[in-house]
Amino acid sequence: MERPDWAPADVDLSRPSVARAYDYWLGGSHNFEVDREFARQALAAVPDLRLVARANREFLHRAVRFMLDEGIRQFLDIGSGIPTVGNVHEIAQQVDPDSRVVYVDIDPVAVTHSTHILAGQPNAVALLEDLRHPEAVLDHPEVRRLLDLDRPVGLLLVSVVHAVPDQDDPYGLIRRLWTALAPGSCVAISHVTTDSRPDEMGEGARLSGRTNTPVTARTRTQVEDFFAGLDLVEPGVVWSPLWRPESSADVGEHPERMSFYVGVGRRR
Amino acid sequence: MSDRPAADGLDDRSRPGVEEFVTAWATALHRAHYVPISAEQRRRIVAGLADRLVTAVLAEPGEPGGGRRIGTDLVAAGFGSPEALGGTIAVIGSRFLGELGITADPTIAARLNRLLADLAAGFTSAAHDLSLRAQDTVRLAALAARTQAEEALRVSEARFRRFATHDQLTGLPNLTLLTEQLGRLSAAQLPIDRVGVCCLDVDDFAAVNDVLGYQVGDLLLREIADRVGALTDRRIDLVARLDSDRFAILVRDTTCAGDAVKIADQALAALAAPFRVNGTEVPLTVSAGVAEGTVADGGAATLMRASEIALHWAKADGKATLRQFDQDRSNADAERYRLSAAMPAALRRGEFTAAYQPIVALRSGQLTGVEALARWQHPQLGLLSAARFIELAERTGLVVPLGRQLLEQACRQASRWQRVQPGLYVSVNVSVRQLRRNGFAGAVAQILDRTGLPPHLLQLEVTEQAVIDLTGIVTETLAALMKLGVRIVIDDFGIGYANLANLRSLPLHGLKLDASLTRSSAQPARRPGARRPGTDDDFLSTVVSLGHKLGLVVTAEGIETAQQARRLTATGCDNGQGWHFGRPVPPHEITARIVAQQHHDAVSPGTELPALPIQQR
Ligand SMILES: C[S@@+](CC[C@H](N)C(=O)[O-])C[C@H]1O[C@@H](n2cnc3c(N)ncnc32)[C@H](O)[C@@H]1O
Repeated sequence: MERPDWAPADVDLSRPSVARAYDYWLGGSHNFEVDREFARQALAAVPDLRLVARANREFLHRAVRFMLDEGIRQFLDIGSGIPTVGNVHEIAQQVDPDSRVVYVDIDPVAVTHSTHILAGQPNAVALLEDLRHPEAVLDHPEVRRLLDLDRPVGLLLVSVVHAVPDQDDPYGLIRRLWTALAPGSCVAISHVTTDSRPDEMGEGARLSGRTNTPVTARTRTQVEDFFAGLDLVEPGVVWSPLWRPESSADVGEHPERMSFYVGVGRRR
Repeated sequence: MSDRPAADGLDDRSRPGVEEFVTAWATALHRAHYVPISAEQRRRIVAGLADRLVTAVLAEPGEPGGGRRIGTDLVAAGFGSPEALGGTIAVIGSRFLGELGITADPTIAARLNRLLADLAAGFTSAAHDLSLRAQDTVRLAALAARTQAEEALRVSEARFRRFATHDQLTGLPNLTLLTEQLGRLSAAQLPIDRVGVCCLDVDDFAAVNDVLGYQVGDLLLREIADRVGALTDRRIDLVARLDSDRFAILVRDTTCAGDAVKIADQALAALAAPFRVNGTEVPLTVSAGVAEGTVADGGAATLMRASEIALHWAKADGKATLRQFDQDRSNADAERYRLSAAMPAALRRGEFTAAYQPIVALRSGQLTGVEALARWQHPQLGLLSAARFIELAERTGLVVPLGRQLLEQACRQASRWQRVQPGLYVSVNVSVRQLRRNGFAGAVAQILDRTGLPPHLLQLEVTEQAVIDLTGIVTETLAALMKLGVRIVIDDFGIGYANLANLRSLPLHGLKLDASLTRSSAQPARRPGARRPGTDDDFLSTVVSLGHKLGLVVTAEGIETAQQARRLTATGCDNGQGWHFGRPVPPHEITARIVAQQHHDAVSPGTELPALPIQQR
């Protein structure tokens, strides 16, 4: 008999996890040798991968601060990964202690770790759910408890959309997510591309096939298409360092080497 | 920021060059390591550390552990990467003294070196601790994740198992669970060794669904499940729903079949009370099949099957009833099934033949005709009489080709006999099915044609049943046959309900009295004053004269003794048939008998030929 779809996912510690490898690239120690081995292979292919990861993380923070400036006080962070410095709830709660954050990830270890970090935090939770099942996320009782979907929400899809292959209809999934949100909600997306460094990033993407979440790199137009139906916030879809940098010194000489297209859209 | 008293009366922060040094250090750190704080916050943190650095270098004597704490605090502020340490050492080594305009005398230089060494040690030890803590937490997280996944798997497996072993509509165990449980009982060396299975099935449930809709059907099934599930007998092991409207009760600790039957009776009683849906009563009846026996040696699986066979009998025997499995009946069923399945091939191979039984004129004792009776020369079972297979052939429809084959054989044989005994007729049974087919009369005509038998020497025996309801086609066929000149007689007369009106309206040739009329029964106890034929003989005479009054030839079957033959002769019955006059035999024996009779007639005409010695069986 076929196993019904409510059978839970297994925890496979013999496979590298992107969540933990990403933590390693950012200098964290929440990872295992199997993750580091993969992370070092990726570093061999893309020597400045740590900077790439950092530029992505910096975009996340600028996007969150932008949304806070817009008055948004509730966040849905899908593909939140292993908690590391500058978690969304920390940044948001510095601005407003009542800010609410729901973290979602499919990596069970990332989620239990997040849950551990969030113990005693009434306004933030971490859920084991899948971006590919938007209704399961949106209808989750914890989402309903913490987030008021009649008011604007900051939807963070940072470095996760490329984990959804074309056959899972990423465009449809993302549309289903933001159409459930109130006008004024913002959607931040960052997405890997091989446009600027086809060889190195191509090899990196190929290596990701060994992890639990392989990567599908996309072109600028393909990334822009994710914002169809939303109002793109200035400066549009750009290289990660170029999105509203704090100072021109932060940009660096070759922002395209950071290999992430990023953007923020607002729901009308 | 620092509340320490200024060394040498000098405020370190206002010291020229501190600003520049802080900028250089903050920039180096920012480049080396990302901490999500603003440039302003970063500067403030670095300024505090620079301040402590100045004090440590200039203080007399040096504050113990000062450098170490700066390293620790750098890590605590988030700048814990190797690059951050490298950048820090580089900036302090290359720019600290210069920017602050401190002369690098050997004491200062040595102090600065020691300070850097301390800072590096403090930094790495803090970073190491941080790493170890992170390792601990991620390991615990992995462990917890695994436990949770296992727990979730257990829950989902339990759900899955329930899903796989229970019926969703009624919540009862399903066939899978019942089979498992039977298997367990078979396998386990339990003190119980006998169980019963009661199979219950709603009669004509499909009609309920069709007429009232499946929602009502579902409500009824739930109600049935509730009622059967509510039976409390302690021997009931489980109640299962097998499929749509079929349920089963597993009974354990039985000692005999009666124990299981008792439970089935309880279930039937519980289901006999009226069913109501939305206030209206839905009439329902239920049939049950019960099997009971030992569970050892795979008996359990057999029991399940046996209960379903018994259920099938209950249905076949009119529904709304209970049948208990019986091995003999089952064997007979199986045997009949095998025979029935083998018949078409047997027909092709020509395994069916005819045997012929003499019919004699009772008054003269002369052989006047023969009845052709079907025989099956079965390759394994030997010669089978019609009783073994005709009913099966009727059911499958094979009786039609079989009947035709037999008819042709019989006509051909009778035609041959005309050479030794002209006028000898052959009587052949015809089934209702044959009569109901278009073109039967035509087929008979062709056979007569082919075989050359004069039509009036072919007698067809039809049952009372065939002429009870004279539907169009049967009447037409009979009329066509009579027009051909074929004789029609009613077979087995007196046991069914022959429509006497039909007897009159059909141009019949005769009646064959059933053997049960021929044999004398025990004399009935005579009730005083009752008006009834006093004896069997009275009764027989009445029937025979009824036949004669209708202008019919009467033949008595089943005459086994000389005494019966005399009795029948006395009633005026025309012909007789039965073991007394000869058993069904192969055609050459009939030929021999004809020849013998003719010889006898030539020698001593007018005397009766003694019955032939029994040659068969
Ligand atoms: C590189 S991390 C990104 C962490 C964080 N968003 C950031 O950008 O700093 C990507 C995360 O996405 C998660 N992920 C991948 N596919 C996912 C999916 N279908 N649903 C939810 N999370 C997913 C991975 O487990 C991983 O933790």
